Amino acid sequence: MTTENKGSAIEAGSTDWADKHYLLVDDFIGIRILLRESLRNLGARHIDQAASGGEAMKLLAKTRYDVVLCDYNLGEGKNGQQVLEETRERNLTAPSSVWLMVSAEKSVESVMGAAEHQPDAYLIKPITEGVLLTRLNRVWHKKQVFREIDQACLEKDYLRAARLCDAQIELNKLHELELLRMKASLLLKSGEPEKARAVYEKVLAERDYSWAKAGLGKIRMNNGEHEAARQIFQGVIVENKYYIDAYDQMAVAYQLMGQHEEACGVLEKAARLSPNSVPRQRNLGLAALKIGNVPMAEKAFRKCVSIGEFSVMKTPDAYLGLARVCGMKNVAKEALQWLLLAQREFPPEQIGLRAKITEGMVHHETGDYRRARKCGDELEAMLAEDPVRPEKSICMELATLLFAVGVKDAPAGLLCYVVKNNHDNQVVQDEVQKIFDKAKMGDEGASLINAARKEASDLMNKGVLLWKTDKLNEAVEWMRAAREKLPNNLRILFNSAQIIVSFLQQRGYQQALSEEAMEVLLYVDKIAPGQQRFAQLMEQLLQLTPPPAPEGEAVVLEKAVAVTEKPAKPVRGRVG
Amino acid sequence: MEDQHSSPELFLFLASTVHDMKNSISVLSGTLESLLAAEQARADIDAAQNAPAYLQMAQMLYQTKRLNDNLIQLLALYKEVGKPGYPFDVQPQLVAQVVEQVVDQEKILLASKGIRLETDFPLELIWTLDEDLVIGVLAHAINNAIRYTKDTIRLSAREVDAVLELRVEDNGEGYSQALIEAGSAAMNGMQAGVDFSTNSTGLGLYFSSEVAKMHKYRGQSGSIALANGGALGGGCFILRLP
Repeated sequence: MTTENKGSAIEAGSTDWADKHYLLVDDFIGIRILLRESLRNLGARHIDQAASGGEAMKLLAKTRYDVVLCDYNLGEGKNGQQVLEETRERNLTAPSSVWLMVSAEKSVESVMGAAEHQPDAYLIKPITEGVLLTRLNRVWHKKQVFREIDQACLEKDYLRAARLCDAQIELNKLHELELLRMKASLLLKSGEPEKARAVYEKVLAERDYSWAKAGLGKIRMNNGEHEAARQIFQGVIVENKYYIDAYDQMAVAYQLMGQHEEACGVLEKAARLSPNSVPRQRNLGLAALKIGNVPMAEKAFRKCVSIGEFSVMKTPDAYLGLARVCGMKNVAKEALQWLLLAQREFPPEQIGLRAKITEGMVHHETGDYRRARKCGDELEAMLAEDPVRPEKSICMELATLLFAVGVKDAPAGLLCYVVKNNHDNQVVQDEVQKIFDKAKMGDEGASLINAARKEASDLMNKGVLLWKTDKLNEAVEWMRAAREKLPNNLRILFNSAQIIVSFLQQRGYQQALSEEAMEVLLYVDKIAPGQQRFAQLMEQLLQLTPPPAPEGEAVVLEKAVAVTEKPAKPVRGRVG
Repeated sequence: MEDQHSSPELFLFLASTVHDMKNSISVLSGTLESLLAAEQARADIDAAQNAPAYLQMAQMLYQTKRLNDNLIQLLALYKEVGKPGYPFDVQPQLVAQVVEQVVDQEKILLASKGIRLETDFPLELIWTLDEDLVIGVLAHAINNAIRYTKDTIRLSAREVDAVLELRVEDNGEGYSQALIEAGSAAMNGMQAGVDFSTNSTGLGLYFSSEVAKMHKYRGQSGSIALANGGALGGGCFILRLP
């Protein structure tokens, strides 16, 4: 938006703050006047003000602000964090903009680093002009240091971004720690845990940082060393009880070990320390539901709904969870009210199928088998009508319900679809087998699973064979068809992208094919982040891409941001 | 963590009250600062400084700063009675920027009292510390030195044997022996001899020593000390961070 003279300003450590557009958000008029005076003294001319979160959102939607100074406590309605989250989710500010969160005291949220969206800096009242200017310049300078790295991240070229971190560490001693933290997280996203481990250990040799220890814990957890990971997270909490991320991770470790009671206990502690996180209350509710702690589930889901009211993070899980809770308490009427509310709050494509599944479960649970069966029939009809299948966990939930109400073919087909899309994932196949067993279809299920697995691997092997025998045109074509049949099979998706990359390497660059591979890769990273092959293929693909024309830069950026919500190619024809 | 349930309503009430109070004090001190700055900008500074209204405003600003200091300390110390405490957060910072921010917070008050502030610090030195807390301690030390100094205060920073030494010195009569002992008592965790209800210096020393002790590196902890002498020959507050 504003042209920034990068080179010279970095050395001077400052930029021209006069021409920027500012937004001040505080419910206290005295503070707004004071801050406005300070900004005017810095030369600022374009200053807008908002007295509430709602007012701030209206202004943010209208104007692209360069600097937002936002109080954390805004009285009724959205708080500062929620204004920030919605702004970022809706891309209302440019990546170069500065967000300063203001609070009366240093908040736990400011250092625990758990929130997905962090402001660029926190300021504690009272704010004097000099402190404001120092912090603005510091954030601006840091943004310059991270500019190219952030751009590489937007393009999902994590390996290039990690190398850029190394280059910046050489130049910026002051930001070394943050650059190392960034580099480690990029290496984790690139499926390079060993390299990430080396970075964390280097940091820890110098000083104890909770985030570095927690990073080591995550690596152990991904490695399947769940108990070792749990102990690391426990250690982080003993030293720094406000590092909320460690609680969330510890709960995951317990869940992976099947210790759901303990997982629930840890989440409850985390929710008590930091109660205003929608995802955390949702996780607590789901964990409580799993162990049958109905009162705790109800409390968490209710809190989740109330804090979600003003948040873009609000989730249908809380509404559906409350419906389940009411079903368990045998009050079907209230359960159905929550389902109605859910359908009012969320769009049909997000909630339709899931609300119907939950309705069936509630009827089944409260002993109304006639209505449960009716839901089953309706779901079967919905499946016949729309060939696109929901994500794995919803498929399995749906199959479980359909078996329970006496439907046979549709759920078996759904489960085969799940297996085909996860044909090399033993854990998923075991879960599917359990659902068959519960429906008293153990043997039939086992052979269905085998057949599905074989179908998927045949499909893949044929493509690889074509590729290895240098029939690249046919290989690309074949994998495209395979992808349509199995839109969520990671190996097929990766192989498909790999074959396109080989094609481009051997036969020359073609924009349409490059875009196709990019679309496939971005979809994989969305459904299964942190894969080594993703980072490697992405790097290869971007290296093949000719450098964009100067004005083309923005186009690449927008493309990378717009990760598709649906499978890369819609499934045509009935699968199952 | 088990005491989290003790009285959430009380905590919320206190938190929101403190929030309001800090807002009011921010406005009060901000307004006074801009009024004083406007007077200082006028040509006839000597005449201005002798006007009774100006002197009264300077005194108001001084008292407001003290009030604010105490609130910050109470907020940080409140963890002692069992509620979410201060989330300690060390980051590498340019020492020069820390000093700059302290100077900025204090310059109008010092000018209004006709006190000169000298600084001395290395430009490139980076230190790992909790910036907000360290600024709070140094600003408090300067507010305190205003009471003791004749006409000059010196804020300096340097690295001595892998320790960052920050000093606030004045050219007054120096601290009484009782205060110097209170300083070392605060460091040793002995709060005996310091009466918080009548002695705000005691509270400040206790807060500062807590901040110092929180900074740990390779088995060493930070410390504070009060002494006499120093570069200006008066009182001397020293914060050492490993």
